[in-house]
Amino acid sequence: MSETRLLFRNIDEPGLAALATYRRLGGYTAIAKAFKEMAPDEVLEQLESSGLRGRGGAGFSMGKKASFLPRGDMDKYLCCNADESEPGAFKDRELVQKNPHQLIEGLIIAARAAGANRCFIYIRGEYDLQGDILDAAVAEAYEAGYLGADVLGSGEQVELVVHRGAGAYICGEETALLDSLEGKRGNPRLKPPFPAVQGLYGGPTLINNVETLSNVPHIVASGADWFKGFGTEQSPGTKVVSVSGDVRRPGNYEVELGIPTRDLIEGLAGGALEGHQIKGFFPGGSSSPVLTGEEGLDIPYSFEAMAEAGSMLGSGSIIVFDETTNVVELALRTARFYHHESCGKCTPCREGTNWTVKMLERMIRGEATPIDLETVASVQTNIIGNCLCVLGDSMAMPVGSMVQKFRPEFDEAIERGVPGVETGGPVRPIEASIAA
Amino acid sequence: MSPRPIRNAVTLVVDGREVVAPEGTMLVDAAKGGDVEIPVFCYDPKLGQPVGACRMCLVEIEGIPKLQTACSTPVRDGMVVYTQTDHVKEAQNAVVEFLLVNHPLDCPVCDKGGECPLQDIAMGWGPGRSRFTDPKRHFQKPLDLSPLIAIDRERCILCYRCVRFSQEVAEDEQLQLLERGDKSFVGTFDDRPYIAPFHGNITELCPVGALTSYTYRFKARPWDIEDAGSVCTLCPSQCNVTFTVRDEHVLRVLARDNTAVDDGWLCDKGRFAFQMFNSADRITRPMVRAGDGSLSPVSWDDALAMISKRVRASGARSAALLGGGASNEEGWLAQRIVRTAGGSSVDSSPSPVDSELLAELSRPELSARVEDLDYAGAILVIGTDPLHEMPILDLRIRKAVRRGGAQLMVASERPTALDGGAAAESARYGPGEATAFLRALAGGLGADGYERADGHEAKHAAGIAKVLNSVPDPVIVWGERLWRSPGAVEALRDCARAIGMHNRIGPGLLEVPEEANGRGLREVGCLPAAGPGFGPATAGRDAAAIREGLASHELDTLLLIGADPVRTHPDGDGWRRALAGSFVVAASMFDDESTRYANVVLPAESHAEKEGTVTHPEGRLQRLRPNVPHPEGVRPVWWALSEVLTGVGGEAGFGTPEDVFAAVCAEVPFYGATAYEEIGGQGLRWQERDPGASWKPGDGGGGGIAGDADSPIAPSGSEEAAAAAYASPSTPPPPTADGQDGLVLGTYRDLWATDVTKRNPALRFLMPKQKLEVAAKDAEELELANGDEVTVSVNGSSVEARVAVRERMRPGAAFLIEGTDEANANVLTNGTPQRIQVVKR
Repeated sequence: MSETRLLFRNIDEPGLAALATYRRLGGYTAIAKAFKEMAPDEVLEQLESSGLRGRGGAGFSMGKKASFLPRGDMDKYLCCNADESEPGAFKDRELVQKNPHQLIEGLIIAARAAGANRCFIYIRGEYDLQGDILDAAVAEAYEAGYLGADVLGSGEQVELVVHRGAGAYICGEETALLDSLEGKRGNPRLKPPFPAVQGLYGGPTLINNVETLSNVPHIVASGADWFKGFGTEQSPGTKVVSVSGDVRRPGNYEVELGIPTRDLIEGLAGGALEGHQIKGFFPGGSSSPVLTGEEGLDIPYSFEAMAEAGSMLGSGSIIVFDETTNVVELALRTARFYHHESCGKCTPCREGTNWTVKMLERMIRGEATPIDLETVASVQTNIIGNCLCVLGDSMAMPVGSMVQKFRPEFDEAIERGVPGVETGGPVRPIEASIAA
Repeated sequence: MSPRPIRNAVTLVVDGREVVAPEGTMLVDAAKGGDVEIPVFCYDPKLGQPVGACRMCLVEIEGIPKLQTACSTPVRDGMVVYTQTDHVKEAQNAVVEFLLVNHPLDCPVCDKGGECPLQDIAMGWGPGRSRFTDPKRHFQKPLDLSPLIAIDRERCILCYRCVRFSQEVAEDEQLQLLERGDKSFVGTFDDRPYIAPFHGNITELCPVGALTSYTYRFKARPWDIEDAGSVCTLCPSQCNVTFTVRDEHVLRVLARDNTAVDDGWLCDKGRFAFQMFNSADRITRPMVRAGDGSLSPVSWDDALAMISKRVRASGARSAALLGGGASNEEGWLAQRIVRTAGGSSVDSSPSPVDSELLAELSRPELSARVEDLDYAGAILVIGTDPLHEMPILDLRIRKAVRRGGAQLMVASERPTALDGGAAAESARYGPGEATAFLRALAGGLGADGYERADGHEAKHAAGIAKVLNSVPDPVIVWGERLWRSPGAVEALRDCARAIGMHNRIGPGLLEVPEEANGRGLREVGCLPAAGPGFGPATAGRDAAAIREGLASHELDTLLLIGADPVRTHPDGDGWRRALAGSFVVAASMFDDESTRYANVVLPAESHAEKEGTVTHPEGRLQRLRPNVPHPEGVRPVWWALSEVLTGVGGEAGFGTPEDVFAAVCAEVPFYGATAYEEIGGQGLRWQERDPGASWKPGDGGGGGIAGDADSPIAPSGSEEAAAAAYASPSTPPPPTADGQDGLVLGTYRDLWATDVTKRNPALRFLMPKQKLEVAAKDAEELELANGDEVTVSVNGSSVEARVAVRERMRPGAAFLIEGTDEANANVLTNGTPQRIQVVKR
């Protein structure tokens, strides 16, 4: 079992983050092709026909999304979402840290395809080192004439600003990202209008993930048909998968979409730790419904197969847990994360995450009743599909799936609690007034 | 700008009923047409674009798998919507249950109980029970959000309405949502009090009991109270209000949404200035001043007989000055009394108004409606700061800019509240130099007889002219104070002509009068040189000339109806002297600065007690309805005036205010034969139907007792003085006595510098202290800093003030507030710009 490296082709080359090294290894040739040999529409057409799907979580066709931007002479924006904050996801970090120019090249080409002239990379604030690397790379790209008022003498303008987030998970939601970039409180916006029509500063805006954009130079350089030679029909290309949790070799692996999940977890990541068994895993980050080891390992790792199995590929981040993990505690940890990160704008997410945490804490303390388990399940159902953005669902889907698939463990917790788990005391202290 | 809506109707089906609604209507509004109510918390179209935050309005739409928020889904032809399926009901139950997770359910002690959307929706669309058994979120409560509003953060359901009001309607941007998730709460930066002139609106917007006003807290339950509609006459906005009445006392003032007038908002003055209705300080019976200066009560009969006798005897030496919220009926009767007695001096404005020009500007096609602002391509605000003079207009202009896309330009002496944020362009001219600016503007617009001028103002004027000439439907909002700059209003008229406002519907002029019913009073004849309907009348004295006439004893009797010239008119000390030597009759709610000089004091009604009509600045006749009884002893002013009119030999027999209104209509041709009932609850704009619609100046009207038109006319003192002191409007006033080239003084009205603020305990903290506003450059030259205590003098008169260095000031100008309780700037003014001496104390 081996990787299929496109984005990671030269990932371990020393000094790849420098423009000279990147260029020596063939970088910035796609941009020359896109600007000198191709009209913007041809670039867009390449991206559309490549079938490249967004790597940030939703898996929407990247080319189609770019085609939604109106044509015409106006300021248009491209935002690269590098606010990678989903528990379990760390692929963008490596892509930015080790190969920033691949991202920048892809971003400039995508800007040409979408007609965008003002670009931003919104990078997670905690990615300090990566932000510095990106700053340096952007400066180099300006210096080399890939960015600026006249990209490669084409007369086209592409400006790029690196913006660092301030530590809110919600700002990875594309419309909250826009509000945050505008200097506002990072809250999701109501859609429609979609960003393609009315996004940053009210202008047409294309928002893409780091990995999505990093694919772009390869597609332009080698063509859509070449790209479609990888992966499955509905999930073409490769995917950088972050594997973490109870495995022997956690890390990022680039594989063709559609390979058996077992090859990733047991092959590349080395499988369960010595003497342990895989109990289950999140196939697409902490917001995806969990799969048990038995049902999940043989499912092909593709957007469509994961959806069919009732879960999702999401950002492509696998978190594995073995039999030492108590699923009620896992549910609480998951719920606490989303409770902490809920922006509070819409009712079901704000109140539902809070309520779920309180109920799970009681279960762990052994203070819950069987009715509470019904309520936990029902609250998750009441959240799903009723929120302003997907954050509420991101808690409700995995927690709901845990209750459904590991019910005996919850029943057990209701009987005796889960000893050794910190929940903040038998009765949650009344939160002191923040404004007192 | 947004185009005037011409929207096609679309047909959709809601719960099996066919509904027709204009394209683009939000589903939640369209559903009402099919008698289907979709519950909402965060949605209110007045707050701008929907935010879809509360999730209460989820509905099922055929062809869309997920539930959609009806508040943000525009209707489309053929849409099929379900609001009562199991799927929808589950979502509604879920949202109500979620909302109640952290809500204390303390309805029995909550002021909102009984008129609470959360109660209603929980009852109508909720599951009826909650499965939540954990501890709820706690906050300290109640906290002062402001001195007027308490916030209970436990009751808050985080619907965003108050925050959006602050951010997107009032644009004071003080309210924020702090923290996040279920720890979110509404507050201000650093817990500072939310002090802003419109902040009371959030108590009405709040769908729960989280924001309550201290003035109404624990005062009544919905089943104790009655609602009564009327009009607030504390300023020219004339907002439509609902008084909450319990046991014949007003306990609360709420907005009564009238898009044509107020868009459903109230300023804090209109909202909280009801405490004065029940004040123990009110004058409740007629009183006569004895020789020793003391006032003693007399019977109504004696008081009215004394007034009638005096006015009859005084004849041509009698005069009347009206102001404040005096109704059309009161105004008409007062001018009738003076003119019947043989006098001719009646005025209702502190500024010298030229009746002929005013009549011309009152032509229907020239006048803009408040609603025209919503569709204006550009708005020029000149010579007024709406926030202080007609507050609700400030919000309307902000809406036009934010939501209609209008270009806003401000030209004024003093920086306005609209400068900086909303206004794309601000031009400053010197105090009293509006004429030069308007002439430059007329020149820029290519008006006949004007030249394109040079210089700083001219450049600004040219820029503004370019915009006015290039956008569709510009509206000019102008302050009545422009009359104080000789020639300014003529130039304004010529600007309007040059834009073509005379012959187009849409663009127009909207005047901000100085008095609450300024427009109505002038239309019913309270003008020195025109009778009712701008008809002919023997020319008399204007306000300034009345003051001079009283001082020189050419006049000897003055009726003050709602007017307090000592406080509000230029030359306050001059008024004191003028009133002290004359026979003064004052009708007033309170002992104010002018009643102190009155020989006969009559109690006046509050606007909650009064019956009659007023005329909004856009020409809308509005009815005041008596909602609470008069305090014992108080009788209607219209009735008292009607008795005096009979006493001086005028017509008798007005039995009701309606009779007086009929008499008014008979003499004001453009009011036509308007029946009282026709005015209704929303008012009736006289320009919108005949005979008003086709009225033009010279179409008659008048008092029918116009005396000898050739009689010698006393020249208008203030205008003559202005002409002398200020021969060319762009010439700065002469240096002060000691030769110092001092700053030129301008004065302005402050929203809160009024007797009303003093009479309402809740508002007292807003009463401004006198401050001297100067530009940074001048402050530096004069070595003044913010907060310095100074004495400001003009020709020996002086007031004390604190220095406030302001942005966007024109160097060389300085401003003081008119009408303050202490150190009133009007003792320094005489209607023309003055240079001041500033000495640090």
